[in-house]
Amino acid sequence: MIHFHDVSKHYDNQTALRKITFSIDKGEMVFVTGLSGSGKTTLLKLIYLAEKPDEGNISVAEWEIDKLEESSIPLLRRHIGVVFQDFRLLNNRNVFDNVALALRIRGVNEKELKTRVFDSLKIVNLRHRADSYPHALSGGEQQRVAIARAIVSDPTIILADEPTGNVDPDTSAGIIRTFKDINARGATILIATHDRALFKNTGRRVLRLDSGNLTGEEIG
Amino acid sequence: MAFPYAFRLAARSILYEKWINLLSILTIAAGLLFIAITALSVYNIDVTTKRLPEKFSVMLYLRDNLSGKELENIINTVRKDDTVKRVKYISRDEAMKELKTTLKDTKYVLDGLGENPLPDSIEVKLKDEAVSPDTVKRLTAKLREIKGVDEIEYGEKFLSSIYSLKVGMNTIGIVFVIIMSAGMIFVCYSTVKILFYRKSEEIETYKLLGATKGFIRAPFIIEGAVMGFIGGLLSLIGILSLYYTVIFRLSYTIPLFKTIIFPINISLYLPLAGLFLGMTGAVIAIGRIRY
Repeated sequence: MIHFHDVSKHYDNQTALRKITFSIDKGEMVFVTGLSGSGKTTLLKLIYLAEKPDEGNISVAEWEIDKLEESSIPLLRRHIGVVFQDFRLLNNRNVFDNVALALRIRGVNEKELKTRVFDSLKIVNLRHRADSYPHALSGGEQQRVAIARAIVSDPTIILADEPTGNVDPDTSAGIIRTFKDINARGATILIATHDRALFKNTGRRVLRLDSGNLTGEEIG
Repeated sequence: MAFPYAFRLAARSILYEKWINLLSILTIAAGLLFIAITALSVYNIDVTTKRLPEKFSVMLYLRDNLSGKELENIINTVRKDDTVKRVKYISRDEAMKELKTTLKDTKYVLDGLGENPLPDSIEVKLKDEAVSPDTVKRLTAKLREIKGVDEIEYGEKFLSSIYSLKVGMNTIGIVFVIIMSAGMIFVCYSTVKILFYRKSEEIETYKLLGATKGFIRAPFIIEGAVMGFIGGLLSLIGILSLYYTVIFRLSYTIPLFKTIIFPINISLYLPLAGLFLGMTGAVIAIGRIRY
């Protein structure tokens, strides 16, 4: 589903990723871990094409990233649900509209949209906050809204960048359970986290990044 | 692309950013009102000059004592010209009769003249399309060469000034409309550009969530179109008010205003013109969207 072959990415004179090669199969749930600045976010950005690789090849689902035309980028992104590190919620929209945005972009009709948004909000336990605006939510709640938006369109791939960065251990465990449930329904999931507790005893693959190098792989 | 949603986003933006939008709408309304007034002036001058050919004629004053054959030759030569519509011979006696009718009560001024001093003449009516300073000049130069024609008169100065006025007003009108249209496009461009920059974070999120360029562009284009359309509606109200309060009422006291023609059906296009200008400004403002 996701293949990296000798992928490098540089910012000015700094190397964010160096000759990274790995594959994630369809339906897998994989973690990528490392310290801050190890390249986790860059790795995710390369998948949803917020950044382009300087070297190497990336393929995501049926798309070869380096051969992808600009007009196809939205189509690729519609197959991917992203939980951004900074959430990227729109402060002038309520929770419902923030989650619904992912479906409106895909042209889903309003009736179906309503059902799916409420279903997603139910999964992250935020149905009761549908009318609230992001500034009225805690960091953890905002994060869950971002997760609801990422899963609402039933994407084939879900990328989550530090999805438990702002939540307490109980909520964190709840979020991981949610991802496992979504993964059980067939979605491929890649979670970037520095929190080792998150993948401990999950039995899932963990990719280790250190200063832009893929230093190893383990089972969590 | 979910169009109803794009309309909702546009409506939301118009309401949230009401002051900047209101300012643009009023500027567009004022601009279109000026354009409408200019068009009205150009149109009226155009109509006046179009009516001119009906009244316009070239007078050929003939030498005295021409024989019947010479007169026939002159008339035939004049008739042969492509630009001539009608030729009418006016004898000196007819001319005197006409003069006396014109003078009416003051015809006694002619009493001391004794013999009729007026010459025989030919009135030449031109085809409508031929009534222009250049064509008339060419024709009169040709007619002057005809043997037996003494003098030619056609109100040269009047003809050239009315045509200069027409050409001048047309040119000024076109330049003015172009400048004002560009100005209004620029107003919409600036407004949409400002809104586009203000929403750059939001647009970035749209892109990352998989929005197409159409999805991103549509609300802004709708917003530009709505601004232009409302501006056009206001200018239509303005021009109608101007017509009813100024021209319509003043024509009772100042008859000159009665001669002004007001093509009301053309004014109905003002909102559409505004819509087009608004959309154009918005399209230019958004420019190329890159992922």
